Amino acid sequence: MELLALRGITKRFGATLALSDADFDLRSGEVHALVGANGAGKSTLSRIISGHVQRDRGEMLLEGRPVRHVGAREAIRDGISMVTQETSLAPDLSVLENIMLPRLAMPGRLRWRELRARARELIAELGQKAGLHLDDPVSALSIGQRQLVEILKSLALGSRIVIFDEPTASLSPHEAERLFDIVRALAASGRGLIFVSHRLEEIFAIADRVTVLREGRVVAGNLDTAGLSQGELVRLMVGRELGDIYARTGPADAARGPVVLRVRELCCPPRVRDVSFEVRAGEILGLAGLVGAGRSETLETIFGLRRPVSGSIELNGKPFAPHAPLDAIRAGIGLIPEDRRGQGIVPDFSVRENLLLAHLGAHRGAGLGYGQRTQGVEELLETLGLPRHRLLDANMLNFSGGMQQKIILARWLVLAPRLLLLDEPTRGVDIGTRGSIYALLRRVAAEGVACVVVSSDFEEVIGLTDRVVVLSDGVSVTDIPSRLVDIEKLGMFAAPRSSAERTHGVLEGLVSEHGGVAYWIALEGGRLFCFDRVGEDAAADPGFAAGGFPELGQTRIAHAVPAREGVATAADGGHPTVLVPVLGRRGHSLGMVGLTLPRLRPGFDAAALRRHVIAELGSTAHAA
Amino acid sequence: MSMTTEPEIRRRWGGGLLRLLATQIELRMLLLILAVMLGLSLASPYFFTVSNLLNVMDQSVVVGMVALGQTLVILIGGIDLSVGALAGVTGIILGLSFPSLGLVGGVAACLGAGAIAGFVNGAVITFGRVAPFVVTLGMMSIGRSLAYVFSGANSIGNLPPELGLLSSETLLDIPLNFWCLIVAYALCWGFLTYAKGGRTLYAIGSNPEAARVAGLGIARWSIFAYVVSGVMSAVAAIFLASRILSIDPIGGTGLELDAIAAVVIGGASLFGGRGSIIGTLFGVFIMVFIRNGLNLLNVSPYWQGTAIGSIIIAAVLVERVLSGGRGRA
Repeated sequence: MELLALRGITKRFGATLALSDADFDLRSGEVHALVGANGAGKSTLSRIISGHVQRDRGEMLLEGRPVRHVGAREAIRDGISMVTQETSLAPDLSVLENIMLPRLAMPGRLRWRELRARARELIAELGQKAGLHLDDPVSALSIGQRQLVEILKSLALGSRIVIFDEPTASLSPHEAERLFDIVRALAASGRGLIFVSHRLEEIFAIADRVTVLREGRVVAGNLDTAGLSQGELVRLMVGRELGDIYARTGPADAARGPVVLRVRELCCPPRVRDVSFEVRAGEILGLAGLVGAGRSETLETIFGLRRPVSGSIELNGKPFAPHAPLDAIRAGIGLIPEDRRGQGIVPDFSVRENLLLAHLGAHRGAGLGYGQRTQGVEELLETLGLPRHRLLDANMLNFSGGMQQKIILARWLVLAPRLLLLDEPTRGVDIGTRGSIYALLRRVAAEGVACVVVSSDFEEVIGLTDRVVVLSDGVSVTDIPSRLVDIEKLGMFAAPRSSAERTHGVLEGLVSEHGGVAYWIALEGGRLFCFDRVGEDAAADPGFAAGGFPELGQTRIAHAVPAREGVATAADGGHPTVLVPVLGRRGHSLGMVGLTLPRLRPGFDAAALRRHVIAELGSTAHAA
Repeated sequence: MSMTTEPEIRRRWGGGLLRLLATQIELRMLLLILAVMLGLSLASPYFFTVSNLLNVMDQSVVVGMVALGQTLVILIGGIDLSVGALAGVTGIILGLSFPSLGLVGGVAACLGAGAIAGFVNGAVITFGRVAPFVVTLGMMSIGRSLAYVFSGANSIGNLPPELGLLSSETLLDIPLNFWCLIVAYALCWGFLTYAKGGRTLYAIGSNPEAARVAGLGIARWSIFAYVVSGVMSAVAAIFLASRILSIDPIGGTGLELDAIAAVVIGGASLFGGRGSIIGTLFGVFIMVFIRNGLNLLNVSPYWQGTAIGSIIIAAVLVERVLSGGRGRA
């Protein structure tokens, strides 16, 4: 029997039909994804299941029994709970108190000892014993950990059905990976999980079945993900073929102008420690890295929202030290911030005034000067595909995430900027609209604007940008053309020092024991990517530096590569070198650890070194 | 997400008027005022007489001036509790400086004192990042205390009779002080609608972070709002003094509550970003009408507070229901 079955659900909000005659099934032990573009009705459907929203028509059967929940509390009582995008935790209470928060609302004395034991059990069930302390305040936790608390909270309620609403929107790839492990564990324990998302790769990674919604209707119900391709799913979601959303028009390296922005050794603690890069007119530069790597803060420093402690910023070849955003705006810089609702949209302003907000900031004089922009706005509307009459719409929040983002982008285009800084420009934007934002950015760049795009989505970074600078723990570790790099390499470059610490420790150990130079690299397509390097011995120089990506032939360890299983190789001109490939838990490559020595000492045991490295880093390593 | 287009809304039965009502707070306020006036004139034959209406106009000036400044402060999401006390102390400064500085000098000293107090409020709130409630509560205490200190707890009489002209003269049969109020509101309306500073105040109240990223001068205009509020307290003190040609250190007591009530009745959100100066003016009228009506109906002054308080709460509830039903889907 189905754990949960919905039949003919219809919901209307005012004049909008949010859901029309929708069916949905959930079995115990499965992860069922609910997908659709923004506004397709997936959130409405999940909120009807969770009791937050009342259906107008249709029936809901829980284990064959008809139910109607008035409010989320009743749904929780029946074992249905929701883990939301914006967490509903009390930041000043401890982890334990938050997990047991619903208990606080129940009558009777609290027996903390029992609650604590119960919380420990739940944590153990998820296999997340480490890293979560019951007495820490929630405000001290990372976003990923908060989500974990949220999940524990719903488990503490004895939930049999857990709904995840866009759970990975603010997680780094590693955190997302961990979440997926948890979701699988929950499904294996017989619970039914509903996973709301518009990220396709996620759906294929996690879901057993998928139900696709479009404009309030179920266009495909209960499909097995196994027999489905990404293309088919996209077509179902948007109702047409998307084509390549990263399609480039025109030649790749055309029309590169002079350097617009040059950042050198920028330091703005705590997040930005040593960042250097430059971007040219007409170029789209990616600033990749994990959440917390200092990417947003780098943009904010350039934009005058933060004061650097040291380092320099040059704009069009002249030193630039903005005291406030206004300085940056008048110098021709625009910033599209990460948090669209928090830092972008002025909710009480009409679309037109939102569009002209940066103009208002830059405008000199006491009046508004809106009139002088009328023509520019008209032209922009055409670019955006926004009907004229919607310009006067009172509320920008009525628009889809994609259109909101385009309006924020247009806010800067009105000013004809020379440099655009974009922080996660496609966050919360459905896949159907992403392509049009990419196309718009390409067009803007082609007109000679320099663009810096921050993104956690490595696929987007590689697809959209010309060149990528990777930040890791506040340090720019590499600067590499996008066509030379792939998602795995970016991930290894971006690995924060804290999680690569183990690798770094092993490299240091090798150097202190044997001397020479130790490094962590990956090889692909005749190219070597160096993620970390320890040792300064010039007599053992392998021919590349950390962050480098030379062709293998240009390095001094090419001779060691064919002899992967060989012990140590010394050929003409090449130094003795050992390379040890490292494989991760699930058999995927974590690159190689290598050691180059000035000369081979007698008694050097390469096989022992290999065993040592694999014991330290292989299988259990979290190097990347 | 709303997929409704405008023509669709219009096509719906009765949509036009309801939509106007739902979106135009000024229209709602106007209807409310007309209803209040109708009710009061039915309840008391004296209400709709020339002398009573002139009286009402006169009474709306002081609270109206203070409410103007309060509107700007509430638009940025702040609150100014010090206005009543500032009206008290600036009034005393006005009275004390007449003998040495003359009429113009006295008025200038009074306005200057209001501006300084407002600046201190704004600067501490903006740069010290202290909650406006706390800072202006402190300033309220300081203001009232200084009013007693400066005056020696005595009232000041013998004011220049020219000052009284503000309240006694009329233009086109309407009191001069009421004309001043209308002009002040018209200027403020123009500022809030057509000036960069005015739109900045709305933006600050609606989303300060977005305003900051767009390069708007948040600190400058936030302080400006408090300075205007301080100056308008001083203006209110001048009109208060002109009415009775005497200044008392307890002058302006409770004015802050009337002013905040008028702004809130006028539809402004205490979270900032939403409100209109015309709404505030209507709010002032409603407050004054109701006070006046209660007096005409011989309601005990002890009960008037209950009546006014209930009306404030009811008005805000109705407003919440009306504006809550808009733009959400």
